[in-house]
Amino acid sequence: MSSRSIQRKAEGRTWILETILILLAVLFIIPIYYLVVTTFKSPDEATLHPMALPFHFTISNYTEAWKAMNYPRVFMNTAIITVASVTGIILFSAMAAYSLARRTHVVNRAIFYFFLAGMMVPFQMGLVSLFKLVNSLGIMNTLLAVICVNIGGGCIVAIFLFKSFISSSVPIELEEAAYIDGCSEQRTFWLIAFPLLMPVTATVAIITTLNVWNDFLNPLLFLQSRENNVILLEVYRNIGQFSVDWTSLFPMLLLGVAPLMTFYLIMQRYVIKGVAAGALKG
Amino acid sequence: MNRTKREINYGMFILPALIFYVLFCVSPFATMFYYSVTDYSVMKQTNLSFVGLRNYVDIPENDLLLSGIKNSLVYALLMTIFQSVLGILLAVALDKKLKTKNILRSIYFLPAVFSPLIIGFLWNYLMSTSDFGLINQGLTSIGLSKINFLGDSDLALYSVIFTQLWQWTGWAMVIFLANLQSISKDYYEAAEIDGATGAQKFWRITLPLLQPSVNVVTVTAMIGGLKVFDIIMSLTNGGPGNATETIMTAFIKTTFSQGFYGYGAAFGVVFFVAVMLLTMILMQFLRKWGEKIA
Repeated sequence: MSSRSIQRKAEGRTWILETILILLAVLFIIPIYYLVVTTFKSPDEATLHPMALPFHFTISNYTEAWKAMNYPRVFMNTAIITVASVTGIILFSAMAAYSLARRTHVVNRAIFYFFLAGMMVPFQMGLVSLFKLVNSLGIMNTLLAVICVNIGGGCIVAIFLFKSFISSSVPIELEEAAYIDGCSEQRTFWLIAFPLLMPVTATVAIITTLNVWNDFLNPLLFLQSRENNVILLEVYRNIGQFSVDWTSLFPMLLLGVAPLMTFYLIMQRYVIKGVAAGALKG
Repeated sequence: MNRTKREINYGMFILPALIFYVLFCVSPFATMFYYSVTDYSVMKQTNLSFVGLRNYVDIPENDLLLSGIKNSLVYALLMTIFQSVLGILLAVALDKKLKTKNILRSIYFLPAVFSPLIIGFLWNYLMSTSDFGLINQGLTSIGLSKINFLGDSDLALYSVIFTQLWQWTGWAMVIFLANLQSISKDYYEAAEIDGATGAQKFWRITLPLLQPSVNVVTVTAMIGGLKVFDIIMSLTNGGPGNATETIMTAFIKTTFSQGFYGYGAAFGVVFFVAVMLLTMILMQFLRKWGEKIA
């Protein structure tokens, strides 16, 4: 067999493989397609023609869901929690990781393992005392409660990622030169080291945004009043599992996933890269 | 003097993260060990008395907690195995020179950005036995009978696992794929010259060099699987009966709905020990595998 015919045979096989993968992707995406088209349908239409495009686009389902969920409000709450948590996690973890990477004496090594051990510990189980703590701090039923708990838990992986990046990719020479010039540790970190952390900061930002935005347990425990609700709580509280007018609930589900779906569609390359880097570089 | 000041400055950098971590994660978790040996409950919030190991002794007599443990173990085990196997298969397939590679990768990953809570509500409709249940509509249209995916207690847990494999396999695939792309093509060329078959190349080159990503995916899937909560709340709420109760749902129900804080805490301690043991066993297993390769 000539090398050319081997190549042609391999191409034929790739073509079959690609077709199978495309068919699988179509199957994969059916639930999401179904979610989107059903938002425009009446229950009858959705039962009779579940996979068809909607005959007439009614957006009344959407306006009702928008109002019932108090969407602008809960969207803002979710956004505030996410931005504040992610910012806090990035700043505090980068600072701590910098110190842990540059000062490797016994105490710091112990502190690093103390953080690292947290990856295996199911901290959620401590929520009875956490509940009491949040109460006694006077932040129960505030966004701040959720933000604080998110920062505490989010630092673990972030410190791990920041530290391995600093140790492997940030040259210490610049910092030594700054020290000789009499630059303080604070200034050295914020002006010299921190700007060099951009790649890993992007990774941490992406994975913590996904985690915090989709977190359901902490808001469920610490936010009780409707004006402090986040998107997921509003979906959870509005959906009764059996309803005659069941298609009217679909816009709520879509509004629930729409922000992150938009984020992903625009930033997909970075999201995928960030998730892979967050898992493998460390 | 100057040196001490410098060390203190470095130390200050650690403080904010450490304070948040200790205050909101470690200390509540640590108090749980204390509560687990008291009669703390919604009825008795002050003057706690020491009750020894009574809370622990009672755990095996509680069906809710036992089902939670059993289901979480099955869930974590199956999720770990299938996510890894399917993720590797997809990644190896997508690592070939395909025209639609990037868009396929984006589609397979898409479910991973959604909240499991909402995914649960969506699949609740898809798997329903009512007239509108899409999957059962499909089954009846090709002449099969309906399957009660979520209402049949023998099936419900596996239905939950199915939805979560749909959601997370793409996530695993992305990690395997990134790992695959870092493997030098030289190995494969050398193997081809030696006349290795496709299967030989996979078992002898690809799989061993995938070890870093296999470690990450299996450990994450296992710990995440033991902690599963959101999807259960929206898809089955633990039912039918206790068929899909997990450790977290059973824990939340015992603690918050029934108000047995001390009892819940004892269960938390047991869970903690179980996670540690299982993770250590898995890591030992992965290390052995790593040594065998090297």
